[in-house]
Amino acid sequence: MKKIFAMVLALVLLVSMTGCGAAPAAPEAKSEDGGQVTLRLFSNLPDRKNGQGLVEQTIIDEYMKENPNVTIEVETLDEEAYKTKFKAYSMEGMPDVVSIWGQPSFLDEVLDAGVLAELNEADYTDYGFVSGSLEGFKKDGKLYGLPRNTDVAGFYYNQKLFQDNGWEVPTTYDELLTLAGTIQAAGITPLAMDGGDGWPMAIYLSDILFKLTGDYAGLVSQAVSTGDFSDPAFVQAAELLKKTADAGLFQTGYDSQDYGTAMNLFTNGQAAMFYMGSWEASMALNQDIPEEVRKNIRVFTMPVIEGGKGGAQDIAAWNGGGYAVSASSEVKDEAIQFLNYLYRPDKLSKYGWENGVGMSAQDQSAYMSGSETELQMQFVELVKNATKVSGTPVNDCGSSAFKTCIESQIQSVSNGSITVDEFLAAIGSACK
Amino acid sequence: MKKLYSNKLVILSLILPGLLLFLFAILAPICLSIYYGFTDYSGMGSFRFVGLENYRQLFQDKAFGRALLNSLLLAIGFVCIQHPLAMIVAAVLDKLGGRAENFFRCVYFIPNVISVAVIAYLWKFIYNPDFGLLNNIIKALGGAGGINWFSYDNAIWSVLLVLIWHGFGWGMLIYYTGIKNIDPVLYEAAAIDGADEKTTFLRITLPLMKPVIQVNVTMAVISALKQMETVYLLTNGGPGDSTQFAATYLYQQAFKAYKYGYGNAIGVVFILICLAATVILNSVFADRDVPRAGKGTVNV
Repeated sequence: MKKIFAMVLALVLLVSMTGCGAAPAAPEAKSEDGGQVTLRLFSNLPDRKNGQGLVEQTIIDEYMKENPNVTIEVETLDEEAYKTKFKAYSMEGMPDVVSIWGQPSFLDEVLDAGVLAELNEADYTDYGFVSGSLEGFKKDGKLYGLPRNTDVAGFYYNQKLFQDNGWEVPTTYDELLTLAGTIQAAGITPLAMDGGDGWPMAIYLSDILFKLTGDYAGLVSQAVSTGDFSDPAFVQAAELLKKTADAGLFQTGYDSQDYGTAMNLFTNGQAAMFYMGSWEASMALNQDIPEEVRKNIRVFTMPVIEGGKGGAQDIAAWNGGGYAVSASSEVKDEAIQFLNYLYRPDKLSKYGWENGVGMSAQDQSAYMSGSETELQMQFVELVKNATKVSGTPVNDCGSSAFKTCIESQIQSVSNGSITVDEFLAAIGSACK
Repeated sequence: MKKLYSNKLVILSLILPGLLLFLFAILAPICLSIYYGFTDYSGMGSFRFVGLENYRQLFQDKAFGRALLNSLLLAIGFVCIQHPLAMIVAAVLDKLGGRAENFFRCVYFIPNVISVAVIAYLWKFIYNPDFGLLNNIIKALGGAGGINWFSYDNAIWSVLLVLIWHGFGWGMLIYYTGIKNIDPVLYEAAAIDGADEKTTFLRITLPLMKPVIQVNVTMAVISALKQMETVYLLTNGGPGDSTQFAATYLYQQAFKAYKYGYGNAIGVVFILICLAATVILNSVFADRDVPRAGKGTVNV
């Protein structure tokens, strides 16, 4: 009996840890004595010395300098841990300003729970937001957050490697697959793919789907609401992904390797291409990357697919991450004031541009200095010349259950352990 | 003293801390888990009762089936591979004596001292198909290399190897302590009777180790069922659901898919399975229990 008790004790420790939702000891740092205001900022950017995190911290420091009565306390966690703690906070009381994602997979549950404060859209007419970029942050016509970036998915490639070997940037998908064989024959990994995480591959699949359909928003939202993914476009896209993996475009073991490992393959020159979003454009400025790679990184977008409706200049792009203010904040006005400061065109947009972290969701043309990296300019051109943009990637178009399902099943369908039909049925049933 | 212990208030005050801990840290969360297991709670906002819907889904869920199968595989791996090896190594260590004994005892225990995160990343690099140690060794031995150790079919075996290797030292140490506690007089008597090494091991060491084996095996099975962090860091259940374990799947469903109600249903089934495993193991050992040899027990 004693043993049973001991076992129960050991087991239940685990269950109880998940069971009580790991409630944090709600740090009640809000005080308003003598005009002193403490704002708590909860961010998904743990690296405060590089890229986007540095930009965020710079603006915070400036704000505190200009407003000596305001102290901003920053708490940061990696994306996944961030989302878990965000949920815990939603029960305990949110920090005042938080990072959010303007996509149904994240925002639907959050807005249903009513934890974010409504913003006045009219306040932001002069902020130069790219048209349509606020849509993902709205519910029933009301605005609850602001987008930080415009994300574009693309194939980073090592230009020097391409030139030395006489490889051409592919203009059709068939050329891409042929190129994969050629690069492999040269003993180099064609493309580094972070398949372990699931979402980069889901973006890749969305990119294919976009090139096939020319516009998938309606098709996907229809499929998500009915749970029926049997449309030929989905079948074709998934089959093409499988064919691509079979053709050896991705590195061996891509479906279990993480972001860092995949990126290292590319930045060390072991892989000729790397499929990722525009937020990695700062690679061109990253001193940790060997110079001969760093200086030669260029980008191209998904080539056209024969028989597809998407044109060469249609790009997979969306407005993902952003910020919002907590509905339960005791210093809501100050929090919104800080949010507005953050989004002043000469803050996030300007600093983001100068630090090469990719494009903001606001008009950045005023901040071109002429010293941009070629990679940055390529992205600018891509967006400027875009005939159409895809909008939210497929995996972020449904509930988080759908997102989890597609991101894990996409590994199985690409490596052939389940069939395309099984894959589509599985993601369909996750919508119900 | 005797009078003090018969005072009911004193008794209460002595058992109260433990009782409260059990009630609030264990029993209450279980009850909450059972409660939430009947809801479609997402972890935020409101929820409604869905009856047995979560459980109905759970029994049709292929990924959960895979997770249980993997846990079972791991338990078998622990009991049939790790523990016999640990026991033999412990017996050999016991015979070594001197410096060598201390040295190897430390060496075998080292993996247990290293943090799980380090272990996971270490093996991630060892298994890497492009630059991993394992493929390079195979190449050096004249093989082709380039094997994808984390492919859909290989991944579970690669993970099992790491887990069995990682837990080996702990199991061995407990067996080692058990063997050390056996009265040397018995060995002397056996030697006088002319018993060889093998007979001594089978007729003296093994029977006297039964209580230790019982504890060790039960703990191994439970830890197989509970396996979470190494797998989470090594493969995160992938590719697909090929290396999903009950606890990683619970975490994925409750905290990534925001299916908190479903996650709790998994938790409840999980508790039942663990309880069943404990009861079965106890009855298996109870049937064969021998009178204890006084010193041959280990407190865990």
